[in-house]
Amino acid sequence: MSIDRATPPSPTEPRPYHFPHITRTTLPNGLRILVAENHNAPLVSLRALVRSGADHDTAQTAGLASIVADMLDEGAGSRDAIQLAEEVGLLGAALGTGADWDATYVSLDVLSRNAEPSTQIFGDVTARPTLPEDGLERVRAERLNEILQQRNEPASIAGKRFASLLYGNGAYGNSVVGNADSVSRLTIDDVRRFYQQHYIPNHSSVVVSGDVDAQTAIDLVTRALGEWQPGPEPARPVLNTRPIDASRIYVIDRPQAVQSEIRVGHLGVPRSCEDYFPLSVMNAIFGGVFNSRINLNLRERHGYTYGARSQFAFRRQAGPFVVAAPVRNEVTRESVSEMLSELRRIRTGDIEDRELDDTKSYLMGVFPATVQTASDIASRLVDMELYGLPEDYFDRYRENIAAVTKEEITRVANKYLDPDRVLIVIVGSAKAIREPLGGLGLPVHEMDIDGNALPVA
Amino acid sequence: MLSLEEYKLANGLRVVLNEDHSAPLVAINLWYHVGSKNERPGRTGFAHLFEHMLFSGSEHVGNNEHFRYVQSVGGVLNGSTFFDRTNYFETLPSNYLALGLWLEADRMGWFVDAITQEKLDIQREVVKEERRQRYDNVPYGTAFERLLHLAYDPEYPYHWPTIGSMEDLEAASLDDVREFFRTWYAPDNCTLTIVGDFAPDEAKRLVEQYFSEIQPRGSFPAFAHQRKPLSHEQRETFASQVQLPRIYRLYHLPKMGEPDWVHADLLTTILASDKASRLDRVLVHEKQIAQDVATYILPTEATGLMLLQATAREGVAIEQIESAIDEEIARLAVSGITDDELTRAKNRAEIEHAHQLETFDARADLIGMMSTYFGDPHKVESWLEPYRAATADDLAHIARKYMIPENRVTSLFVPAGSAA
Repeated sequence: MSIDRATPPSPTEPRPYHFPHITRTTLPNGLRILVAENHNAPLVSLRALVRSGADHDTAQTAGLASIVADMLDEGAGSRDAIQLAEEVGLLGAALGTGADWDATYVSLDVLSRNAEPSTQIFGDVTARPTLPEDGLERVRAERLNEILQQRNEPASIAGKRFASLLYGNGAYGNSVVGNADSVSRLTIDDVRRFYQQHYIPNHSSVVVSGDVDAQTAIDLVTRALGEWQPGPEPARPVLNTRPIDASRIYVIDRPQAVQSEIRVGHLGVPRSCEDYFPLSVMNAIFGGVFNSRINLNLRERHGYTYGARSQFAFRRQAGPFVVAAPVRNEVTRESVSEMLSELRRIRTGDIEDRELDDTKSYLMGVFPATVQTASDIASRLVDMELYGLPEDYFDRYRENIAAVTKEEITRVANKYLDPDRVLIVIVGSAKAIREPLGGLGLPVHEMDIDGNALPVA
Repeated sequence: MLSLEEYKLANGLRVVLNEDHSAPLVAINLWYHVGSKNERPGRTGFAHLFEHMLFSGSEHVGNNEHFRYVQSVGGVLNGSTFFDRTNYFETLPSNYLALGLWLEADRMGWFVDAITQEKLDIQREVVKEERRQRYDNVPYGTAFERLLHLAYDPEYPYHWPTIGSMEDLEAASLDDVREFFRTWYAPDNCTLTIVGDFAPDEAKRLVEQYFSEIQPRGSFPAFAHQRKPLSHEQRETFASQVQLPRIYRLYHLPKMGEPDWVHADLLTTILASDKASRLDRVLVHEKQIAQDVATYILPTEATGLMLLQATAREGVAIEQIESAIDEEIARLAVSGITDDELTRAKNRAEIEHAHQLETFDARADLIGMMSTYFGDPHKVESWLEPYRAATADDLAHIARKYMIPENRVTSLFVPAGSAA
């Protein structure tokens, strides 16, 4: 029996997908609760979202928000750090805390049979941490060593320098983890003050997802967090950005490097941008997926890199737009040049039908595969809360992507991409790449990993 | 309980079906029983380079079209290579099951005439960049490679990491690609697992339709290597571009699935997992001499290994870290572990297993592993039984029998310029 192998088989009728039903309520103290039931696996995911993150750090307190997050499991309720870890382990749970630019998160994943006692621990970590002084010293020492280790990590250096050149030392410009000076200076009073100002229920949400019924989940969270005291909501810090007047190359010298870690980009847009959907499609075509232009060019056509990508960091305020790739030293100039020419090309309106159709159907079709777990669903609800997305956001996602046209892609590419005003940050061996980079006709500045200018070699 | 259905096609392809309609998705996962342990010295890294080639098109699928077919319908896909196996997988909207099977069958049966020197040259460069990015240009990047060199004699194929060496990657030829394909890639060396939203009869019909005319190979070269036991601890100190010293250890173990391997897996949780685990508590939390500690074992088929690593805080000598580790292991070997520790370790195993079964793709991968290493996909259902049955003494026994100098190798990474 022989079959036609030359033609790809046609699909059958699609089966419908529905995002889980979301039950919402708000407690008298202002805490918003969202529950999504999903009984496929015997697991429950709890997430707390506090709507303050490293964007509240200043040049002097860089690292504070994430240090406070790290302090949450240094003791909570009546438990010290070790007792807390033991109790979490005995319940078959995994506890995590952390902060990024926009928010602070507490997560607890647990076997559903232990959801009840785990929710109490989760409440203690979120609303009743002890924030002990010796805990700060442990967290500080660990952080300082982490910052030290990052000095040898090319991707970390590139990210820090890029952010610093784009935002200066205000919000989004420091590193979330801070720097050695700022972290050394933080006091327990700084930690407790930040906690008191920002960790308040009317500035927070709790999400429960997985194998628990909605009313039980709400009762458990109410018991654990109903007494959490509200307070005045903190104001969102102002973002200072520095306009880029012309493209410049910044080489951060790492003499022993065998690859150049490249970042090309500029200011992006906030998550609330009205052009979010056309921008998402445009970025996917440009560098957001494996078969994007930038990866097919640098990896599959030229073999310059293991992977090239681009991203709009959609945050509550305008995050960066960045094209990134590590490439071998010998092709650094060529790689930058290809990135710039792809940026120019996507603004010309040169978009193939197939490229647009493939990308839209990818974005529309892939959603169910990305929300298979209780934890995935919880993360989506956290995003919904953090960015203030409408209640029908996930139900209307497909039609919003489907509506994007070629004309809109060209429009947003012209509006939000500016290949003539980019920061080009390259962490690599200055000796190996300096001369070829000169051929790009752009000013080249050399600096050390802390951003100090190096004398012209 | 999972509902697994297992059968074989006439050409030897083992098929495992797990029907689950909880999401409109289908995960397709193929485990080929070939990995870097089937390479020879001089061609290290080849199994993995070959995996890259298998994404570069086959007779009816153009270069880069494999990715395009899957992504353009909302699918996700990848492949990976390790010592003992190579896997290829995609998760698709369930109405595209036939598309996924068509793609996988084409590269299983109609690959070898589609390869070109140009495709090989590009993928060779991509893999060399992968090696630079993950091994050569990052701190501690070569630690695993160095441990393997110390732990296994040069003839034993776990001596080299899956990525291989730059020289060997350079040497790989188009003839090597053809020969490797003809030796290893065949239905009778593969398990095809399908998990998700499908009708079993329809899935069986499609599998038969796309795979049945691919010829079996009949036999495969046997793995005949025996690991030579160490006579004494192998050690080295390696100065490189790191900020903080770090100790890396490898302890030899029986192969995956043996009782002692399971007990060692549980022991890693007790040694280093959360703040209450032994090494974390003593080295990081109390003495504050270490930045981090980690222990884990890898799913290996030929022989087992446990890895341990710990990073010294700034200003702390790596020797101090090493003595503190050995002190804790000795304490555990002598005094054993508590019931609470055992419960926590078993809980962790249970939650990790539950997470692996939670998604269609991870579940399919686990089934493929059980089928490939143990010849029994149903082992996925009984996997936790030996974990549940383990006793405190079983775990202390691991520390006494395996975590001893004659059974380990040690690599000390120290900052360049500070080494003696």
